[in-house]
Amino acid sequence: MKGQEWYQADDVAAEYDDKRFSRGGRLIDRREKEAVLDALGPLEDKRVLEVACGTGRFTVMLAERGADIVGMDISAAMLEEGRQKAQAAGVSDTLEFMRGDAARLPFPDDHFDSVVAMRFFHLADTPKSFLAELRRVSNDQVFFDTFNRFSTRSIYNWALPMGSRLYSRYEVDSLLEKSNLELVNAEHDFVFPYGFYRKIPDDVASAFRSLDTKLLSVPGFDRLASVSYWDTRV
Amino acid sequence: MKESLMDVLCCPMDKSELELEVDERADDEEVLAGTLVCSECGERYPIEDGIPNLLPPDMRDDVPA
Repeated sequence: MKGQEWYQADDVAAEYDDKRFSRGGRLIDRREKEAVLDALGPLEDKRVLEVACGTGRFTVMLAERGADIVGMDISAAMLEEGRQKAQAAGVSDTLEFMRGDAARLPFPDDHFDSVVAMRFFHLADTPKSFLAELRRVSNDQVFFDTFNRFSTRSIYNWALPMGSRLYSRYEVDSLLEKSNLELVNAEHDFVFPYGFYRKIPDDVASAFRSLDTKLLSVPGFDRLASVSYWDTRV
Repeated sequence: MKESLMDVLCCPMDKSELELEVDERADDEEVLAGTLVCSECGERYPIEDGIPNLLPPDMRDDVPA
């Protein structure tokens, strides 16, 4: 029956929006954007590359704040979304999207002031070569996040269909050393992993986020964080 | 893709300069369709719907658009 199909289609769309724009989802989005903005500092005329930019969630935000930015992704469909977002925001002049491979970037050495890779390294099969290539095209900063081993996410990860690569602090330190990058700041957050925040009802999301923040303020408890944001310099 | 991006882009394989062949423009600056050709290895990278595809040739076929 046609009506039933419609209902089901609506149901799917509604569920998609719930996940993406639930209060929990928005809390994650806000925290990630804050992490990027804090790390990059003043953006006016800064040359920025964002790899694995997806639909341009950060790319457009950074362009709006004055960055001269390139957003790169492997997927044309994602970039098309990003292009529409950029047009709507009126930032097409200072933003370029392109398809490319983060392990073989189409840019000369030292070209960018900041290179950003969010939600990228958990999908990277050869993190060392990716990080080395990000460093090659940066003259100053490389900023990225990781999902952590020895956190609640390790447990959660068993339930995920697509295996995420998890990193211990030792592994990140070792990656930075091999890539000749210096760590200037690290922030560790989310005892309860992203997936948890996307699933819980809206009315309890803020309460869990507040508990999360309290737990992390206890000395030593930042080891339980599921996400780390790494701010490094060449 | 804005033509000024040519100052930045290089071949992802050997990092040599690229040359722009334009098939369609939106205006003086914006290229909608064309090809970027490596001056060294001759590899050709398409520009489609204004978005340059600089994926290395070995990755172009496995990746769904």
